[in-house]
Amino acid sequence: MGDRARRAVVTASRLLSLAGVVALVGALPWLSGRSPELSVLRARSAEQEATPEALAAIRADLGLDQGPLALLRSWLGGVVRGDLGTSWVSGRPVGPSIVAAAGVSLTLVLFAVVVAVVTAAVLCTPALRRVVRGEPGRPSGVAGAALTALPEFLLASVLLVVGAVWLGWFPPYGWDGPSSAVLPALAMGLPAGGLVGRLLADAISAASSERWIVSWQVAGAPGGQVARAVVRRVLPALTTQIALVLVGLTGGAVAVEQVFAIPGLGRLTLGAAQSQDLPALQAGMLVLLGISAVFGIAASALRVLLLGRAVRSGSVPVADPTSIWRPRDWVLPGACLALLVGTVAAGLGRDPFTSAHPRLAGPSWALPFGADASGRDLLARVAHGAVDTVGTALVVTAVSLLVGLLVGLLPRASVGPVEVANAAPPVIVGVLVAAVAGSSLTGAAVAVALVSWAPVAAYVAAAGTEVRASAHVRVLPVLGLGPAAVTWRHVVPALLGPVTRNAVLRLPGIALALAALGFLGLGPTPPSPEWGLLLAEGLPYVERAPWAAFAPAGALVVTAVLAVSLSGWSRRRPRATSEVASSGAPPVMAAR
Amino acid sequence: MSAVPTHRRPWLRTGAVTTAAALLLSGCFSSGSTDAGGEAADGRISLAMLQPPRSGLSPLSDDAFKLSRWSTAETLVVLDADGEAQPALATDWAQVDDRTWRFTVRSGVTFHDGTELTAEQAAASLTAATEAAPQPRILDGVDLTAVADGDDVVVTTGTPDPLVPQRLSSPQLAVLAASAYAADGTVSPVGTGTGPFELVAVDGTSGATLDRFDDYWGQPASASGIDVDFVPDGTARAAALRTGTADVVEAVPVSQAGLLDPELVHEVPMPRTNTLYLNTASGPFADPAIRGAAQAALDRATVVDTVYEGRADIAEGLLGPALPWAAEGRGELALPAAGTVPAGTAITLGTFTDRAELPEVAVLVQQQLEAVGFTVTQDVREYAFIEADALAGAFDAFILSRATVLDSGDPVAYMTSDFSCEGSFNISQLCDPAVDAALEAAAAAPAGPQRRALALEAEAAVLATGAAVPMLHERVIQGEQAGVSGAARDPRERVLITSETTAGD
Repeated sequence: MGDRARRAVVTASRLLSLAGVVALVGALPWLSGRSPELSVLRARSAEQEATPEALAAIRADLGLDQGPLALLRSWLGGVVRGDLGTSWVSGRPVGPSIVAAAGVSLTLVLFAVVVAVVTAAVLCTPALRRVVRGEPGRPSGVAGAALTALPEFLLASVLLVVGAVWLGWFPPYGWDGPSSAVLPALAMGLPAGGLVGRLLADAISAASSERWIVSWQVAGAPGGQVARAVVRRVLPALTTQIALVLVGLTGGAVAVEQVFAIPGLGRLTLGAAQSQDLPALQAGMLVLLGISAVFGIAASALRVLLLGRAVRSGSVPVADPTSIWRPRDWVLPGACLALLVGTVAAGLGRDPFTSAHPRLAGPSWALPFGADASGRDLLARVAHGAVDTVGTALVVTAVSLLVGLLVGLLPRASVGPVEVANAAPPVIVGVLVAAVAGSSLTGAAVAVALVSWAPVAAYVAAAGTEVRASAHVRVLPVLGLGPAAVTWRHVVPALLGPVTRNAVLRLPGIALALAALGFLGLGPTPPSPEWGLLLAEGLPYVERAPWAAFAPAGALVVTAVLAVSLSGWSRRRPRATSEVASSGAPPVMAAR
Repeated sequence: MSAVPTHRRPWLRTGAVTTAAALLLSGCFSSGSTDAGGEAADGRISLAMLQPPRSGLSPLSDDAFKLSRWSTAETLVVLDADGEAQPALATDWAQVDDRTWRFTVRSGVTFHDGTELTAEQAAASLTAATEAAPQPRILDGVDLTAVADGDDVVVTTGTPDPLVPQRLSSPQLAVLAASAYAADGTVSPVGTGTGPFELVAVDGTSGATLDRFDDYWGQPASASGIDVDFVPDGTARAAALRTGTADVVEAVPVSQAGLLDPELVHEVPMPRTNTLYLNTASGPFADPAIRGAAQAALDRATVVDTVYEGRADIAEGLLGPALPWAAEGRGELALPAAGTVPAGTAITLGTFTDRAELPEVAVLVQQQLEAVGFTVTQDVREYAFIEADALAGAFDAFILSRATVLDSGDPVAYMTSDFSCEGSFNISQLCDPAVDAALEAAAAAPAGPQRRALALEAEAAVLATGAAVPMLHERVIQGEQAGVSGAARDPRERVLITSETTAGD
């Protein structure tokens, strides 16, 4: 395939995916079977009786009788002229409010990035120090995993209570100056920095065995210089992932925006999706996709810039990650597993639904995790919820592994769908799925699966290209093997191990995304003890009865630490294809 | 810290870029003067409200209640505590015939944009509401026309309507200056009201600014202005009160009220009844004795204490303490006798998640019903996904928090839609001739003591069927900083900051 044909496939893939999203959102009311005139009426006037006259008036006003195609056509015509349309709910032009919201979101992201950079720097300092001292790399630490597993909405509420009420340093809400950005930036930046820091630390550990480091040290290069060189060495491989984190921060910060009353893009898009305000929703999705594309392009540009000559000549050096797994490294995953299994075993026999205890009873021997606001046993609820939350997360992980593997084998055609799925925050997808199918655990699982395959596919695409480029695979056609045989007998087996490991690393992120949907009321419905719902129920009492929120949050953190620490163990085995590790998409848990 | 990825860029350039970016982006913060929070020295009141505006503060939507809570937009008539009409922009009114009313418009009233209030403009504002698509809810089923006649506005209805003055008190029928009404049908209340405060700026969904209007026709406002923030999160609103960020805070959640100084929280009874609707058409509750058993099984005090921490009123009837005359005039109620529930009688119990306390109420109701022999299956969804099923009678029992008086301050419309054969919100599927007759009599009565007595008779007729079990009446918790005086505590949530409100010193 020629260069031009390749570029044509990529462009066509992008355009088709964009068109698909626009058409899907445009058809939302017809897919959901919920009449948009009713949701618009409810948004404008909550307790108004939905008389046929009122509904007919709205339908005529919005031009809904023309059907989805005509609506979409006139909307597209407007977009071409730079007119994003008029909001169905407020009757005001969408454009200015979207621009303002995007400005707020990007400003907030800027502040969050500062926090994230500091956090990441702190987290990868130990790994860097080991490299400089010539010690072997180690699996990344607990701190990063724990930070990444902290739900933003919990962090936001805790920070609000501590930073605004107890300390009185920052305003509790609003958006009128840098001081009001501090708490939300912390709530968003800490988990993001935890994620990036862990990725960096892992990559630094992987790079530590490269020979040039020894050569430099023998040549007497100072430690600082080696450290800088190592960071620069690992950054190119991570730019795509960092861009993904930024995209996630821009559109996915709904809960933080809600807590601190920040008029950002996530809240606007979520509100539009809930009231089926199609023009606002379309515009919101377009802006999110646009931001995602800009970050994505900037990431690849930065990668080329950093790699310089190497990327043009196709001789990107390859890291061969080795880390030494010592017996005492079993302690952490073992303890987490014991804690999790012990909780589930102790709680499964108890009753999670009956209100048999005083409201918000504190932890005691009889009631180890305390009771929630309805007087229900929290140990029982966390244990029963584990089956829902972790079980569902496992299924979603398996599905995204399978889909990601299959789609990723078509590296160029999959560019568009992957970018779109990466750009859409799980929360927004959750709203769309809930709009069509109602809120349920299955709906939440489908929503998370719809976006979580994309990073796997990106990883497969990048790694697959490299496997195909390796000498022993390139020689196969000469030996008479057809393309299908090459793919299924050589490429897929070589990818299977690293891709599975990559997917398992995403498990905590997926569990967290599921919990976030449950928290926003887009997942399972009460009285289910799913962890996100438990968090939502406990959060209002975070100050009076912290156990009600910390029991499910602790369970999430333990799950995350378990998954992350186990991934270090699987890395111990020698690699069949060491090339894979240098791909643009190292293992991450970027489902958030 | 050596791993900061940007550290190989020249420091000077990075610094310059960062500064430029910060300068550019600082334009992205809100421009509102909301930073004045809590400082009473300037005489401004800072207010934290629950819901951001949904419809650009158009008075033809639910946002109308914000305009009246800020005393910026006014209506021809206002309601007193009993729900009786009192003069506002209209000084006087009289019923001309069955279908015609004549309102005298107050003279000497100036709109915030400097124009004078005329009968023509008052009629034009009402006409704009009747021509809106959809009409505001207060005009549901009312064919209303308004024309100016000298200094009077003549209001005509399609059918005889004894409640015309009460209807005109709805904030959705506020009178705004001609400049408020754009050709495309949008209505802007910025600088177009008549109230003691002028809305000068709206900052999207994050805030609004109001200044005292010096040419107000009545007593001028004591405070020099209002700074409004919209804060959807309950923890943040409570924090606003605790940190002094806001002087007045709307709707503090029950979960936070316990953390606040009891001196600062004020509970206002709401005209909202948390009711268990029982399906009278099919299933076990078609039998009145089983309905009576469910009624007797409910322990309302436990629900109030557990879910609402005592911050609600145990319901005696459908109409609660927000209508003080209801408890005074209510006679002895005849409830259906409780029968024996056959063990294992299976029922479905529906409710929705949009009001956070309803699922918690459902947990307790399920337990109390199971204690007397029912087997309960819960079905809890988002309201948008459960309304149609509930109205179709898909549940044996349904928990709903229902507003008992809408904009007219009159409860008959609510009872008619919920309990008459033709009612459009008849979750109980009730069709009882005695109830219908009582409701018709109440609906036809003129406003006043007689109508209130008939409304209570209709309530008694509904309760006698056992189709609805009123459980409790909610209260809204209003937070006021020490020193704040004159903030209205209005059960109808129409008034909040008035010309008498001050933030104190």
